[in-house]
Amino acid sequence: MGATILIADDLSFMRMIQKEILTERGYTIAGEAADGREAVEKFKNLRPDLVLLDITMPNMNGLEAMRKIFKIDPHARVIMCSALGQQNLIVEAIKAGVKDFIVKPFKPERILSAIDKALKS
Amino acid sequence: MSGIDETRLRRAFLEEAEELSQKLGESLMELEADRANAQLVNEVFRLTHSLKSESALMGFATLSELAHRMEDVLGLARGGSLTLGKPVMDSLFAGADLLAEMMAAIGKGGSDEDFTTAEVLQGLSAASGNGHARPQDAAPAQGPPARQSAGPSGIPPAPGAPAPLMLGDFEKLQLAEARDRGEALLRLTVDVDEGEPMKFPRAYLVFSNLEAVSNVVKVVPPMEGETADDSLYGRTTVLLTSGSEEEVMKAASGVDQIAGVKIERCRFDAFLSGAAASSAPAAAPETATTTAGQDEQARRNESAPDARRAGPVEKTSIRVDTRKLDDLWSLIAELVLHKSHIARLSEDISRGKDVHSVREELVESFDSLDKISSGMQQAMMDTRMISISVIFSKFPRLVRDLSRKLGKPVDLVLSGEDTEIDRSIVEALSDPLTHIIRNSLDHGIEFPEERVRRGKNDKGRVSVSARRQGGNIVIELEDDGRGMDPESIRRKAVGMGMSGAESFTEAQLLDLVFLPGFSTKEVVTDLSGRGVGMDVVATRIRGDLKGDVVLRTEQNRGTRVTLFLPLTLTIVNALLVRGDTQLYALPLTDVDSTAKLVSTEIRGEEGRESALWMEEETPVFSLGALFGGGRRRADEYFAAVLRNGDRKAYLVVDELIEEREVVIKPVDDLLNSQKMFSGVSVLENGKLVFILDTSFIRREHF
Repeated sequence: MGATILIADDLSFMRMIQKEILTERGYTIAGEAADGREAVEKFKNLRPDLVLLDITMPNMNGLEAMRKIFKIDPHARVIMCSALGQQNLIVEAIKAGVKDFIVKPFKPERILSAIDKALKS
Repeated sequence: MSGIDETRLRRAFLEEAEELSQKLGESLMELEADRANAQLVNEVFRLTHSLKSESALMGFATLSELAHRMEDVLGLARGGSLTLGKPVMDSLFAGADLLAEMMAAIGKGGSDEDFTTAEVLQGLSAASGNGHARPQDAAPAQGPPARQSAGPSGIPPAPGAPAPLMLGDFEKLQLAEARDRGEALLRLTVDVDEGEPMKFPRAYLVFSNLEAVSNVVKVVPPMEGETADDSLYGRTTVLLTSGSEEEVMKAASGVDQIAGVKIERCRFDAFLSGAAASSAPAAAPETATTTAGQDEQARRNESAPDARRAGPVEKTSIRVDTRKLDDLWSLIAELVLHKSHIARLSEDISRGKDVHSVREELVESFDSLDKISSGMQQAMMDTRMISISVIFSKFPRLVRDLSRKLGKPVDLVLSGEDTEIDRSIVEALSDPLTHIIRNSLDHGIEFPEERVRRGKNDKGRVSVSARRQGGNIVIELEDDGRGMDPESIRRKAVGMGMSGAESFTEAQLLDLVFLPGFSTKEVVTDLSGRGVGMDVVATRIRGDLKGDVVLRTEQNRGTRVTLFLPLTLTIVNALLVRGDTQLYALPLTDVDSTAKLVSTEIRGEEGRESALWMEEETPVFSLGALFGGGRRRADEYFAAVLRNGDRKAYLVVDELIEEREVVIKPVDDLLNSQKMFSGVSVLENGKLVFILDTSFIRREHF
């Protein structure tokens, strides 16, 4: 069984695409979250190997969710998904310890190579 | 300028310019906190203007040019057509730093032309828009001929060449320490993949990975978020020191979307040797551009062996508060009065007046002379003293820069800046203090996330205080970071095969951090990152300055480093003792008390004897045994109880003579191969006295 991944994005279409790319590669989708609060909740319960976390989400944004996740597990592997122009938020996330980031719109290869590398670390 | 005493002129210029430059740094700090303050803008404008004019007069074109550009930018701000945003302030800070470096180089006999100003000038003009501060280096041919320096300073880095790495004092200090630790100096050129839409965060990710495995000294362009222009970060140059090249490569290449990483080993000398440290060509691979620049410079030097390249200028004048001189003056006035009084008495006696009749008057006069001379000694000493704020004033900037570089918000609290300390000590103190503060931020203070997790305020706190305590100056540096675990030091010590480490007290364990070889990178990681180069600090404080340093720590609460320093290094109150026929002086700050030891109280074999002191087992040394012979057998011994930090020891002597002041003179290395003496002194009767350096009781302890 491949590594387990939690996908957090408020757009169901985006989650669907990511899910497809990842399952095709052999990863297991641990769960999906539509906002930050849900992402933290699911992380706590599912303990996935990696989290794909969108920055812009309702209820609790990605950065806040990231902080909560690191509080639960300081060694959590988190990859941030962001839109162009969110440089500073990404840098903030890197300082907090995320492994990598992906800029939307992304190509399948990009998301896969980021996840492969992050899981190796 | 021939005909004028060039050296004298240069010295006068440096003195004034260095003060201006220091004020510039301070005012910039104030301005950053209060950017709308028109008075401060004016002050900074005035300072750059003065620097420009003075350096132009001396013919320092590069220096003057830079000051001029800064003045232009401030002129815009003063006129209201430029807002002092972060980029402007940063570029001004960079300019001020470079100005200071140039002056330091000039002081050491170098030239301002050894510096590359292109990067800073570009920063200034970029930050201020394309107003008056247009950088001439972008188009050298357009610059006015008088200012257009033909040397490397005017030439922008060739495309594809590594960015110039200009190092400040702080960075050079980091390099010197890394070299001492035996690390390699590496320059990395990191290229972000063309297809990466966000280059700055990508470069930052590499930087962040590198910071975790090495000591990053300098990054160009700098990794300061907020205003970063993404397009600049396609190529990043990183200068770092590391114990493992492999780990560095792994950290850099483990990042996705990186097109390539080039690692070059560099020579430390290339960055450390004087002015060359600040100019890229010395360390860069040879390219057509840099070679051309050097040739040109060489030719110019040949044709004009000008005074600007004269030998180092030593500072021969000092600034003294006039009130201190007034005090001295009034004492001299009294001295003159008493001198004439005694002259009159002496005349009376020679005219046949009975000595006994003037006896009382003579004694009185002598008493006054005694008071006056000790008063003069004190007043003279006071002129050697300067306020420690000279060093402290650099810390806000240091902490600001570090805190931003590391992404750790930190409050700095300074107190006791008015405490006065001997000039000669001040100069030697700057580096160790800088080092300790850097350690605090680097390793002590946690990242905000971690602090919050540990239930602390997300902002760290570093406090530095100075105070006078008896014959000592006490400086305390405290942080509220993660502290250290003495037990992990014990494990390390036991692992290194240090005998007795199993039973060391906490104080003894913490003292190990100051041992050379103990604070290696590997150990430091074990100790949750603390103690890099603390041995260097200890050598400077205990060895050179005859002081002491003590470390206290509490896990998760923080670490406190306390320095004890003598008020002055020239005159010391000492206990005069005799060993055999030789006289020795024990500095009173190191003497706890004197004692009489009965021979039966002394236990243990010769060479490792001990006796109880305040119910604590304390080693017993004897002057005789330390310097040749043995201890004379007797039933009773006189001893001084010495202290060095938290260590105590008995020193058995043949005679306790008296307490008095001695003037310390340097001792020849030949006489002092064992490093037992901190100096010698000559008494009025011509007798030589060795001043014992009591730190030996610390060395002998292990």
